[in-house]
Order: sequence, then structure tokens, then C-alpha cells
Amino acid sequence: MDLFVQTLVNGLLQSGLYALVASGLALAVGVVGIVNFAHGEYLMIGAFLAWAGSAFLGVDPLLSLPVIAVAVFAIGALTYRVSIRHVLLAPELNQMLLTFGLGILLQNLALMLLGGNTRTVTTPYQASSMQLGDLSVGGPKALAFGLAALLLGALYVVLYRTTLGRQMRAVAQNRRGAQLIGINVDRVYLIAFGVSCALAAVAGVLVSVLLFASPTVGLVFALKAFAIIVMAGLGNLTGVLWASVLLGVSEALVQTYVPGGGGWSDAVFFLMIFGTLVLRSYRGAR
Amino acid sequence: MKTLLMTGVLLALSGAGAVKVGVLLPLSGAGSVSGQAAKNGYQLALDEINKAGGVLGKPLELEFADDGSAPAKAVPEFVKLVTVEKVDFMAGGVSSATSIAISGPAKQYNTFMAWIGAAAVPVEDAFADHPYFFHYHPWSYYNFEAILGYFKYLKTYKKAKNIAIAYEDGPFGSAGIDATVDAFKKAGFNVVMTEKFKTGSGNFGPLVSKAKAAKPDILYWVGYDTDALPLATEIKQQNLQLGLLYGTPPSWPVGFEKNSLSDNVAGLSLWLSTSPNKDSRTFVAAYKKKYGTVTDEYFAPLAYVNLKTLAAAINRAGTTDKAKVAAEMAKTNVSTPFGQLTFSPSLKTKYQGFKAGNWLHFQYLGDARVPVFPIKFAQKPMVYGK
Repeated sequence: MDLFVQTLVNGLLQSGLYALVASGLALAVGVVGIVNFAHGEYLMIGAFLAWAGSAFLGVDPLLSLPVIAVAVFAIGALTYRVSIRHVLLAPELNQMLLTFGLGILLQNLALMLLGGNTRTVTTPYQASSMQLGDLSVGGPKALAFGLAALLLGALYVVLYRTTLGRQMRAVAQNRRGAQLIGINVDRVYLIAFGVSCALAAVAGVLVSVLLFASPTVGLVFALKAFAIIVMAGLGNLTGVLWASVLLGVSEALVQTYVPGGGGWSDAVFFLMIFGTLVLRSYRGAR
Repeated sequence: MKTLLMTGVLLALSGAGAVKVGVLLPLSGAGSVSGQAAKNGYQLALDEINKAGGVLGKPLELEFADDGSAPAKAVPEFVKLVTVEKVDFMAGGVSSATSIAISGPAKQYNTFMAWIGAAAVPVEDAFADHPYFFHYHPWSYYNFEAILGYFKYLKTYKKAKNIAIAYEDGPFGSAGIDATVDAFKKAGFNVVMTEKFKTGSGNFGPLVSKAKAAKPDILYWVGYDTDALPLATEIKQQNLQLGLLYGTPPSWPVGFEKNSLSDNVAGLSLWLSTSPNKDSRTFVAAYKKKYGTVTDEYFAPLAYVNLKTLAAAINRAGTTDKAKVAAEMAKTNVSTPFGQLTFSPSLKTKYQGFKAGNWLHFQYLGDARVPVFPIKFAQKPMVYGK
């Protein structure tokens, strides 16, 4: 019984990281309407900035988190200005190829500038945990989960309780209609894409504390984020948290209870994408 | 215009006839720490070789390529080096998965391979019938022989009885895992857990929970440097009580020794910079002079030895003819930072360099890797947690 409960806790904690990455991707898909294949690379930038702050300036990654979020927001906004903006009306295939190429470019830039080595961050709370009887709750992962819930809540408030949020929803529903009623669509897209990248960077900071920074660190999380937004429904922010929990817990259960389950963990999210798409098409057919 | 043309012709001629060695390494991805270390070793050897007159009277040329630690990238890079760059010899090779992937093209082009890494047995199978395959790194069964020796010592003197095994699901971790379990059982250990994981995923929560339920004395993990910190973190967070956490990644994360989570973590290395061996001291001094720092990654001296012995064999052969160079390479008998290097048959390949007797077991103690076994090489007593 202890192992089962610990497995659920492990899955729940892992889902916090997944939710943080997926929330940004959901925002990009939901508002800007673009599937950003370079999303994991903004996570990588966040992880490297956290590592650099810690290694060269001695700044704790969690303290540098707001600065990193703002910096990556600016990088995201710049990316939007110089590239994304020009393909918004282009066919979806062009958009996907652009973001795919952008991802390769950023990854290779990191390789050229920083090399391929794994960089780790040392913090006093890295291995902190709360012990509840025999149960163990990892500190940084619990923080990631709390932060994910908080940020998703904040995003929800922004989207449904502020003028900017109403503008975002209007643009997401009908770009031309939003333009006709005087909304600066370009500005809304820029903010949404920048925030999306900043959210990936926030996840990156936590990834640097929990795991490492490397040019390819974003790939694993980006793939899982795609699975989550497919499960949640493309662009559905409110569904991101439960879809992340579902993925995290499913992975943990498979890893614990299926023989050789560690090797199957990647299959779990492909299976979930497959299952969701089949179920949706079945429902649609009815 | 004429001057320009002449200069161009002279420049082209100066490189003409120079021996070219292609070096395929994981400069990015999961094996990049080993790959970068090896690259440094190759460049140091190249400097020394060319300073001493080069190869066949011309400066030796190296063509580096990044296999990205991925078979899909390794194959086109290998083919490019052989067919476009037209290298005379191939060196490098760290990952088993990429080495298996290139075994097909290597046989197709009958490439001369002076290979430093790739310890998994499927690589040995893949190159069993290759006439020009010189393998420097011990095969995994030699590694395991050394590990079993250490664990038997822990069983006798520290009462270590229960072993949990965590292994990555690629060829590096998975190949021969059944034989590993059998060998532990045969040696009188209880294998209380055998669990796969995805390298680089960093998700060790469920694995550590399972290990905690199994109550092992030793957790033996076979993975890459990217797994070291996440695993150590999870063990600490879940308060898993171990006698020893023992890992065999080809390299360790940069700066891992500075992190308190590395304390008492043990591992296997072919070489450490503190080795008293004379050739090792010479290598460390030369490395420090060139790079201003010291490395503990054994792929640096391994690459250094690899290129030096290859260059020496070509010079002795007096030609780049593969058969003649292979005949000279087979006669290699030199002292190296790892001890004496000679080539003799392994279970399946004809030319195997280092074997079981070259391994050292170390522990991270006080921000450094310290040899703790075999006892005659131990610089500090080992720390056993139970």
C-alpha cells in the first residue's frame, strides 16, 4: 500500500513539471494558433540561464527565476517579431516547418556556444523533501507542482478577468473579427507568444535544479507537452493540469507495476495521444 | 592573378598526401562529456605527433565529426568522413548504439577502425568478422569482471548481500543484463530488483520507490552522466538507505564532484588523474600545459593513446595500406597511462587492447574522485553506508 501511495505521489510531483511546460505550449496553440516545435528550446534557454546565474554570479536559480522569465519573454517577443509574425497567415505546414527549423537553430546555437556537456546546478534545497510517515515528497518537485498550479490559475484569471485576457480570447476565436472591433491583434499575439516562451523558461529553471542543463534537455519535455495539449484539447488551458496529472501518474504506475516499465515510460504518452485521437474521432463520427 | 594561383596550388600541394584520420565522437547528446574529453585527448596527441615530424613525413590531419550520441546521426557522419572527406583511417567511437549502427557501412567500405569506446557485447558481435577493427576499451564482460570482484570484497568485508540493478534501456545498459543478474546470483548475491530506465528522462521517482521497498545494500546503475544527479537527488529525497550507490557511466557530469549529493557515490574508471603511473603523470602534465586544467575523464588519455599508437603503426608500416598498418598495429607493445597496451583476441574480435586488469573503483570523497579499490591502489578507505 505504501508503494502504491508513493507511486501516486511520484506521478503527481512529476506532473507539475509537465504542466509548466505544457501551459506555455497550450497558450501558443490556443491564442496564436501556432504549433511551436521550438517550445522545448525556450525551456533549454531558461535552464542554461539559471545554470549561468548560479555558476558565474552565485545567484540561486529560484531567485533568478523572475529575471529569467522576463528575459525569455523578450527573446520570445523578438522571435515573434522576426519570424512567427510573417507566417501567421501561411499554411500550417509552413508554420510547423518554421518552428521546427527554429528549434534546430536554437539547439545548435547552444551546442556551438556552450558545447554538449551536461551542466548541473548545486543548491542547498536540491534534495530536500518532506517525510509524511513512510511517504516522501521531494521539495523542488512539490515547488514545481505548486508553481504550475499557481501559474495556471494566474493565466486563467488573466484570460477570464482582464481586458488583455478578453482580447486574447477574442483573437483566438476570430482574428479578423477582433481586428474589426479595434483590438491590436499583433500586440496580443506578441504578448501571448512571449508569455508562452517565459512559461517554458520557468520550467527550465526548475529542470536545471532537478536535472541538468544541456542543449537537448528541452526535447523530452516538449514531446510530453504535446501529448498533454492533445489530451487537454488543443489550446485548452484549463485541461492542461488534469492532463499533466494523468500523464505523470500513468507513467509512474507503468514504471512501478509493469515489469521493465522504465523502458515503457515513453510509450505511455504516445499511447495517450493515440487513445485520445481515436476516441475523439470515434465521438466525432457518432 | 598568377601569384594568387601559385599560392593556391602550393597550399593544395602542402596538404596533398597527408594522412587523414576521421574521428567520430559524441560531441553533443548523452555521451558528450566523454566525447569532449576524447576530443581534447586527440588534439593533444595530434600536437605531439606533428611536433615530432608527423606521419609519413607530413603533418597528420584529423577530421572531427559529431555523432550526436544518436545512431541516426552517426551513420551519415561516418559515411561522409569515409566517402567525401576520404579519410584513410577512422578513430573515435564512444557509444555502443552508434557503433552498432555504423558497423554496416564500416564493413561496406572495409574501413580501418581504431575504436576507443563501445563496450557492449553486440558491438563485439557486429565487428567480429571485421579484419581492421582495433578495440581499445575493455568489453563489458571485462568491466563486469572488475565490478564483481569489488562487490565480492564488499560481501566478505561489509556484509553486502542484496543488489538492486537499474539500467538504461539502450544497448549500453541492456546488453547482457541477464548474464549480469546470473553472475551476481552465482556469486551468492540476492538480486532484489532489476529495473530499466530511459536515460536523460530524469524521472527516477518510481524506480527509487521500488528500490526502497526492496531494501538493497548496493544500488548498481548502468547509465549515462545525465542520470547521475537526478538519481542521487531522488535517493536522498526518498531517504533510500544504501551501503553503496555504484555507477558505471562512461563519464560523469561536469562539476558533479562539487555537489554534496555526489558524496560517497562510487564508480568505475580505467584511469584517474592521480594515478602514480609514470606515463599517466606525463600525460597529466602535458594536458595541464595545453588546457590549463586536469581531467578525470578516462576518454581523454584513451583517445591520446589511440592516436599515438595509430600514428606509430602507420609510420612503422611506411604506408597507409590497411593490411600493412594492421600488421604493425597488432605488434603494438607500449606503456600508457593505463598500463601496458598490447592487442590480443577477445571472445570474438581479433584485436582487443585493454582488458579487466586495468579498472579502478573510486568514490567521490571531499570534492574529488578517490581510488578505493583494489586495496593496493586505494588512497583513502572506502565509505560504506551500512
